[in-house]
Amino acid sequence: MDNREAQFVLSAYRPGGQDAADPQFSEALAQARRDPALERWFTDSIAFDKAVTERLCAIGVPAGLRESILAGGKVSHPSRWTKPFVKWAIAAALVLTAIAGSLVLRGPAKPRLAAWQTNALSQVSALVEGHAKFDAQSRKASELVAWLRENRASAVQNLPPSLERLESLGCKTFFWEGQPVSVICFQRGEGGLIHLVATNASAPFNRTGKSKPKFVQQGNWATVTWRDGATVYMLALEGSRDQLRSYLL
Amino acid sequence: MREADFQQLVDRQYASLFRFALSLSKSGAEAADLTQQTFFLWAAKGHQLRDRTKTKSWLFTTLYREFLSRRRHEVRFPHVELDNANDDDIAVSPNVNALDSTAVVEALRELDEPFRAVVTLFYLEQFSYQEIANMLDVPIGTVMSRLSRGKAQLRRRLLSKEETAARKIVSIAQEKGTGSHG
Repeated sequence: MDNREAQFVLSAYRPGGQDAADPQFSEALAQARRDPALERWFTDSIAFDKAVTERLCAIGVPAGLRESILAGGKVSHPSRWTKPFVKWAIAAALVLTAIAGSLVLRGPAKPRLAAWQTNALSQVSALVEGHAKFDAQSRKASELVAWLRENRASAVQNLPPSLERLESLGCKTFFWEGQPVSVICFQRGEGGLIHLVATNASAPFNRTGKSKPKFVQQGNWATVTWRDGATVYMLALEGSRDQLRSYLL
Repeated sequence: MREADFQQLVDRQYASLFRFALSLSKSGAEAADLTQQTFFLWAAKGHQLRDRTKTKSWLFTTLYREFLSRRRHEVRFPHVELDNANDDDIAVSPNVNALDSTAVVEALRELDEPFRAVVTLFYLEQFSYQEIANMLDVPIGTVMSRLSRGKAQLRRRLLSKEETAARKIVSIAQEKGTGSHG
């Protein structure tokens, strides 16, 4: 091993000394002990690495980021149904019921939101609570739709007519599994907010079919999801399904 | 995951994740957004990770993948050409202690993109070459090569910042000198 090879290997040696026993470095370390020039280079390299590490670890974190993560995390947790243990326990209970030969109940399963939708609600919460910023702000939703089309590969094509008359606050695009998901927030006439979320129907995570709108109540959120052409929309507000229904007319 | 466990995880990792995101992204706001999104993904999908000792790697890997997918969808960046100008280690070492953290982050951001993640993970969390290879899904040899060349590039960038800072100090001193005589 010549000095150039040794330098190449020793570049991956961590300044804290955690790699002292790693055989990958033993030959290069032995070479550094034998060769004063290489040893000088290595000492200088470790000092440089330590100084850079110290500088990086001194970078401050924005105020409010922690709180924003914690607030969003609360609504991002999967529903109990999706947790493996609960899923198996429920499956076992259903099988036992069937074996017992008693009545087979075929009640509709409680509808739930997909992970991308739950995440969209987290993003909305962060926006509403001021922990995240809009990408663009305007009182005219048509301007936001145009801005999204131009800037962020948004899937938003058409606004539901009932939203066109509302005053908008702003929009934001985030990404879920690499696909853009856009949110536009509106001020409701009777007070409160309503949010339109849109993504491409072709996104791999999307399971929304061409059937009629699907209502889901998740915690305080009332949501309705539907597909229109190449776009999947979700409308969400903090309130009841009835309050939401009026915006679909 | 219980709320208390989630909070504990956030407290342990969010600062490092933010710093990693900051070195990759264009702004503090984007870095905060990436950090936030990573934890939201953890809240939604983290229960699928069976080996809890890999939580930290999962977070860094996820943040990096989120960053890459955003890049793919935002501007269609031209293919990144690696800086081959001079991979030799420079003879003069920059005095990192004379520079502030912002200058170091700026220098990291200026690195060619393939080097940036490897070098930042190495410094920030002192991940081993093996861990970095697993996180970024690249061979060990590639990690070593990127560390070697990325560090050389970082030295050059820091040296140039040091020189710029020194020139500013000289010109300010000269201005003051001129002012006192005028």
